[in-house]
Amino acid sequence: MKRDDRTAAETAASAGLFRRDVLKFALAGSALAAVGLRAPAVLANAKPFEGVTLRGACFQHIFHTYIQKLLPEFEEQTGMKVEFDLQAFPVYNQRMDLELSTHGSSYDFCNITHSFSGRWISAGWLTPLNDFLNDPNKTAADFDPDDFVSGTQIAYIDANKQLHGFAWEAGAMLLAASRFDILDKEGIAMPTTLAGMIDVCKAIHNKNGVAAFVADRLHHWNFPPYLMGFGGKVFRDPPRDLMPVLDTPEVIEAATYYSELLSNYCPPGVLSYTDDQAMRNQLAGRANMRINAMSWLLPLAKSDDSRVKDTVRFALMPEGPAGGFPACNANAYGIPAGSNQKDAAWAFIQWATSKKTFERTALEMGGLATPRRSIIEDPRYKEALTINGQDIASMYLDVLERSGREGYMAYRTVPIWPQTGEKINKAIERIASGQADAATSMKAAQAEAVEDIKKAGVKL
Amino acid sequence: MENRRRDVAVNAVGHAAKAGKTPAFERQRQRFFWLLLAPVLAILAVVTLLPTLYLLVTSFTPLNLANPATAWDFSDPLVNYRTLLTDDRLHNSFWVQAKLSVVTVVLQLLFGLVVALLLNMRTPLMNALRTSFLVPMVLPPIVVAIIWKVLYSPDISPAWWLFQLLGWNVQTPITDASWALTAIIVADTWEWFPFTMIIILAALAMMPEEQREAAEVDGASIWQLTWYITLPYLKGTLLVAGLFRLIDSIKTFPLIYILTDGGPGSVTEVSNYYIFVQSFSFSYIGYSAAVTMVLLAMIVVLSWVIIRAVSGGSNAQE
Repeated sequence: MKRDDRTAAETAASAGLFRRDVLKFALAGSALAAVGLRAPAVLANAKPFEGVTLRGACFQHIFHTYIQKLLPEFEEQTGMKVEFDLQAFPVYNQRMDLELSTHGSSYDFCNITHSFSGRWISAGWLTPLNDFLNDPNKTAADFDPDDFVSGTQIAYIDANKQLHGFAWEAGAMLLAASRFDILDKEGIAMPTTLAGMIDVCKAIHNKNGVAAFVADRLHHWNFPPYLMGFGGKVFRDPPRDLMPVLDTPEVIEAATYYSELLSNYCPPGVLSYTDDQAMRNQLAGRANMRINAMSWLLPLAKSDDSRVKDTVRFALMPEGPAGGFPACNANAYGIPAGSNQKDAAWAFIQWATSKKTFERTALEMGGLATPRRSIIEDPRYKEALTINGQDIASMYLDVLERSGREGYMAYRTVPIWPQTGEKINKAIERIASGQADAATSMKAAQAEAVEDIKKAGVKL
Repeated sequence: MENRRRDVAVNAVGHAAKAGKTPAFERQRQRFFWLLLAPVLAILAVVTLLPTLYLLVTSFTPLNLANPATAWDFSDPLVNYRTLLTDDRLHNSFWVQAKLSVVTVVLQLLFGLVVALLLNMRTPLMNALRTSFLVPMVLPPIVVAIIWKVLYSPDISPAWWLFQLLGWNVQTPITDASWALTAIIVADTWEWFPFTMIIILAALAMMPEEQREAAEVDGASIWQLTWYITLPYLKGTLLVAGLFRLIDSIKTFPLIYILTDGGPGSVTEVSNYYIFVQSFSFSYIGYSAAVTMVLLAMIVVLSWVIIRAVSGGSNAQE
């Protein structure tokens, strides 16, 4: 695989997105590096935040467990105490939506959920981090913001070129076959096209009691890469033109394809599957292929519960007639606009997303869904992500860079994405459960999405 | 001394009444009454009335949390009410709600009645079973939802393990558009029939034995006793239990949230779940307030009709 060694600034700028902004960050990063590798003045003082209690909210994720293990060192260094409020993913998003909308000061830092980033940032609910980044007294010279792979940061830059978060986790969509031995026995390779994947499904479904495919019910995450693969779009030209285009022939074709996967080649009850249920099916070897973020696929090779460690194989998401558009997301730490302890919050974010912290969480503790290029390219990381002879690190980096370079994930970071994504969910459920054909269902989704977007006050 | 004071008070009331004035004592009594009642009314106003008024006022704005300026935008106060008239998904949610409410209330009354009649036989076995029947009702609703989620999930359900042993290929109802609502109805009935059962059981415990004994002497069978004596006696109780369950059924949430998320599509999306999605997933507070006001009005009318029916039934009994 050809390594793309362009910087985050270059890759994002080539997509025409926030060109000046990303370059500005790159320049700022370089300038800071030129000052010399030293700690910011605020952290050079012994315990500069003595007596401060910092409160943060995030959704439950293994990364926060790692961070909590490392926290005593940070607390010892800064004098502050850091408290985490961790909630289940959907609960977190709803609560934080309300909390941020009130400009409350309950939390000093929070997770910025990728799919809510456009909404929260454009509403002015988060603090721009540019001033912190440009202040050598507050930001360590070796923080190196340009080290974050472009696809992980684009969602956190607003229309006014302000940066609002730094990713702590990155997701890159890959294909994993938990029981590649079944494909191998049939003389079938990992599929590289969507048409080929259906053929593979037909050939292996229910062989040895294993369903050919499995997915979770978050179709608004899973489906758009298929939709784009068939040449469709979610919005006409996000973020400028937010007119949904969910009823085009390409989208209808993609919806038919994706629903066929769900209806014909998945275990019974798949429409109710959570992420975890889908993963458990693969871990137990009851379902074979799944396309999802790497975090949900790595346990097949790394988890003690996995029965498929030796048989799992990975590949890039198969391409459709219009190309490959594997999804990429990243969740970031940010500072709520209402926080009263922004300096302390920035000190925490800077530490939690520093190279040193990621070295420990990714290379020592096993949190491999990391957003920093220097970690992904570290030989120890490559070694950890060489699974059954496959170089997964390169696939991961390829997806993160591709989405940043081509900017095709912009649909997911616009303020009205939550509403539109829900319409996609409902539409796919209607098709896969046989309530409506793809054309009828996607036309209904289009009409509902337009009505909902008007309710948000967006002029189409 | 006490008698003399009472005579004086009675004479005072008599004179005041003759003069057409409210006696001082009565005025004092009323003042004291309102003084005691005032704190409760104040709390009630703050806790119940003010939020409802706020909801009503908000329903005339396009309030969207992502745009705080919409909080006091009354430029088109009826926009939400116009929108809900053409909102097909909302209309569907009312229809789903009606089906869910009617079927669950009927089933819960039916099962509650049958089990209560059985338990009222007071055999040692029934006495032992009495408490166990209450278990579903006392479990936290979220636990009930998780129990049914496990039961309905083919990869972990003991029922599907059995189906597999028998070689049956059974689809899970929660992802089948034709059966998803039935799956919710079954779980809701399991959870709440003990409520109707316990109310009916309490009424049966208070039932005078004379009529039954007289009928037994006249040679009435067990079915005749139930049909002609017990059921007419329980009519008011059944109406009250049905009213409680009907109002409660409109609040069904955890089962839908955990089991189906309103799907597949919108086949199990009831009105309050739709309101939840509009307000908490999309932050359309103004619109969800309008839908809530409509739902509130419907519940008030429904309650009034049923209360009239219940009190009418009681009067007839008297």
